[in-house]
Amino acid sequence: MASCWFVWWMKGKKKKMPETKDIQTLPLLPLKNTVLFPYLLMPLSVGRESSRAAVEAALGTEEKEIVVFAQRDPSVETPKLEDLYTVGTRAIIRKMNRSQNGALELLVLGMERVVLIRVDESEPFLRARVRPLPLPEDRSAEVEALQGALAELATTAISLAQPGSQQEVAKLLSTSNEDPLRLAFLLASMFSLDLEKEQSLLEADSRVEALRRMHTYLAHEVQVLELRNKIASEARNEMTKEQRDYLLRQQMRAIQQELGENGGEQAEAEQLRERLDKADLPEEIRKEADRELSRLEKLPSQAPDFHVIRTWLEYVLDLPWNVRTEDNLDIAHAREVLDEDHFNLKEVKERILEHLGVLRLNPNAKAPILCFVGPPGVGKTSLGQSIARALNRKFERMSLGGLHDEAELRGHRRTYIGAMPGRLIQAMRRAGANNAVLMLDEVDKIGHDFRGDPAHALLEILDPEQNKNFRDNYLDLPFDLSRVLFVCTANALDTVPRPLLDRMEILRLSGYSEEEKVQIARRFLIPRQLKEAGLSAEQCVLTDEALRKIISGYTREAGLRRLERAIGRVTRKIALRFAEGKTEPVTMTPEDVTEMLGPEPFTQEEMRRDVPPGVATGLAWTETGGDVLYIEATLLPDGKGLTLTGQLGEVMQESVKAAQSYIWAHAPDFGIDPKVFKHSGVHVHVPAGAIPKDGPSAGVTMATALTSLYTNLPARNDTAMTGEITLTGLVLPIGGVKEKVLAARRAGIKRVVLPKANQKDIRDVPEEARNEMEFIFAERIEDVLRALIPQLTERLKLVRNRPIDNAA
Amino acid sequence: MHERRKSWPLFPPQCDSGWRPLADVFRTRDGWLLKFDLAGVGHDDVTVSIRGRLVTVAGQRRDAIVEEGFSHYSMEITYSRFERTIEMPCSLENARVAVEARDGFLLVRMVDEGKEEENA
Repeated sequence: MASCWFVWWMKGKKKKMPETKDIQTLPLLPLKNTVLFPYLLMPLSVGRESSRAAVEAALGTEEKEIVVFAQRDPSVETPKLEDLYTVGTRAIIRKMNRSQNGALELLVLGMERVVLIRVDESEPFLRARVRPLPLPEDRSAEVEALQGALAELATTAISLAQPGSQQEVAKLLSTSNEDPLRLAFLLASMFSLDLEKEQSLLEADSRVEALRRMHTYLAHEVQVLELRNKIASEARNEMTKEQRDYLLRQQMRAIQQELGENGGEQAEAEQLRERLDKADLPEEIRKEADRELSRLEKLPSQAPDFHVIRTWLEYVLDLPWNVRTEDNLDIAHAREVLDEDHFNLKEVKERILEHLGVLRLNPNAKAPILCFVGPPGVGKTSLGQSIARALNRKFERMSLGGLHDEAELRGHRRTYIGAMPGRLIQAMRRAGANNAVLMLDEVDKIGHDFRGDPAHALLEILDPEQNKNFRDNYLDLPFDLSRVLFVCTANALDTVPRPLLDRMEILRLSGYSEEEKVQIARRFLIPRQLKEAGLSAEQCVLTDEALRKIISGYTREAGLRRLERAIGRVTRKIALRFAEGKTEPVTMTPEDVTEMLGPEPFTQEEMRRDVPPGVATGLAWTETGGDVLYIEATLLPDGKGLTLTGQLGEVMQESVKAAQSYIWAHAPDFGIDPKVFKHSGVHVHVPAGAIPKDGPSAGVTMATALTSLYTNLPARNDTAMTGEITLTGLVLPIGGVKEKVLAARRAGIKRVVLPKANQKDIRDVPEEARNEMEFIFAERIEDVLRALIPQLTERLKLVRNRPIDNAA
Repeated sequence: MHERRKSWPLFPPQCDSGWRPLADVFRTRDGWLLKFDLAGVGHDDVTVSIRGRLVTVAGQRRDAIVEEGFSHYSMEITYSRFERTIEMPCSLENARVAVEARDGFLLVRMVDEGKEEENA
């Protein structure tokens, strides 16, 4: 095949192949939905019989040329001339393959624009007569500008449509530099424009027009793409956040499992759910707890709310909503227990036993709200414990002393950080039964400030009508407190608000008498202290005298705390002796007590032997019991008026003035020289001067002292008195009779004058004291004076009979 | 159906002014040998042009072996126009060129005039 090739070559000038032929007749391939552009390679799938025939005919030629026209209506199966656009493309079939279903897969390269002149329909396919339709060479500045703008817009569009494809785009745009038309066609094909748009682009009769059209279409595409991207990215954001959370949670779970912290919040929620299912909760509580639990299950354990809800749920689960202990309703047993723990205190014990009796008959009886009032150390708190023991109930105690925030009782709302339920709910949780004995200690020592008064919160808690649905701020669920046996304690009731007082049943535990103290010491204190010191009862015997010495010489109190401490000191000293080698049992006598405990710190206010006129024996009530006090009055040789000393309170000062006024007014009746009033002042002093005193109950004593002073007749020193007086000489009742009588007895005074109205209180006085002592009940001051200053008796009769008094 | 296969997302359609035959470039003792894979191209249908360092081979492959009653079952060989431009390391405007077809290859020999003079 060694033939000579005709070779022609040129220098510096590219030879152009003849491209544009004149009118040609070529097979026609109708195209649905798209347009084939010159310069572009396009894959096509040909299925229609007539189209296949056209392709076959084209393949049968040397050049493999075909013309492609778009169909106006894609639904037409066998298009005629009128169904086709008149402007199409001459193309070359580059590759062909047959697919399984017989369709022809083509790769077609667009060559040039042609216009349809005529169609020959004689063959099974269409044969078209076409004429090339080249564009004029309009390479103006406008074309260049449009090309630049289009390229720019295309970059935007492509980066929107397929981010990260900038490099490809740059390459693509560079290949289309030669002919701006190529760029327009390329973009049209890339962005799959509508058929009409593509066709109009193909039909554009100048480059300027084509570029302009393409620019418009592409701008629209960019808008659509931007919108689409926005929507997509919104959807993606939403999804990715959820997916991210989910993924992280899964990872965390895996880590927890790896660490052996099996389960995390899920397990915690499950545990709670399990407990909730087992717990016996009232329906309303159950519903609320369920709701909170399902909220918990949706939260990740890092959420701040997670712990808040969990703690809340735990509280709800721990509370004894329906848990109740079985009461021991055996009254004999209860009495035994109460007697075992406390000596005497009959009134209180009776009250407890009464309630027990009621419970026996009516198991749903409302629990009483008791309030024990008495001096410190008389056993109020331990009595509460013993009540719980007698009833076989749980005992919880909360001290209200110093409590000043209402929220401490009722809790904080859950919205606060570190919120907790109130002390009451906490106590119920600790007790674990809703019929516990709950002791509210020191209700008289509740403080209050600008945040509110906790005592007012107690009003709700202690009202049997309201506390059935007690709502703690933290729980915000109604808790039934109506079965709780509330026992309050207080030392004095002055500071307890009246409405609160009104809700409680007051039981007074007054101080113990010496006799009672001896009994209590024998039964409880000595055995306890001996045990503490490690001694046996035989090793140390305290005689009654020694015990009494300790009680009167080393303690001055209504309660028993100091007594117990003093006994403790004695037993410890004896224990020391045994530890040092002593073997014989010790019997303590009063002398031994003095030796061990040192000189007596308290001296009894003994009955004064020689009483000058102007001195009267009064009785006072103190928190630690009663006391004897002497009121001393003396005339001043000079000056006028009344001087009062001894830290007397306002009420006491007024009662002195009332007494004085009464005596002045009745001076002639008492046989008092009025000159004495006019020419000399009076000084009244009440020892001991350092102790503040107040109250009206010294009125009769004042009157007696002054009468004694003015008449210069001494008052009886073996008689003590108490009572308030009025300006008309009436004697009014006073409180603390028992303490006062016992104080008198301690001082050795056997005769006591009391207001007539207090006669009923004598019952409180221990029987032995009652039997020992003589009581005089006075209705008027004259009765008092008659008992105290016998010499006045005659004069007093006169006073009594004066009509003016009767009128008063 | 002759639906165009969807090329979205952005399958960049090829832009082409013809297909590109494969080529080998040899350095010879006195110049260059270019070998083009151009089987079935008649000698009338090929043009070799040199402009500076660019050697361009262009032309058209016609499917001459088609007869009445033949029909393509498949077609992989690309007919129609082709064009290939190879950039040489130096200008060959002055080179002597010989073109020869052998066993389906088109061989373009170029002898550098200057070098020949040097050798001689």
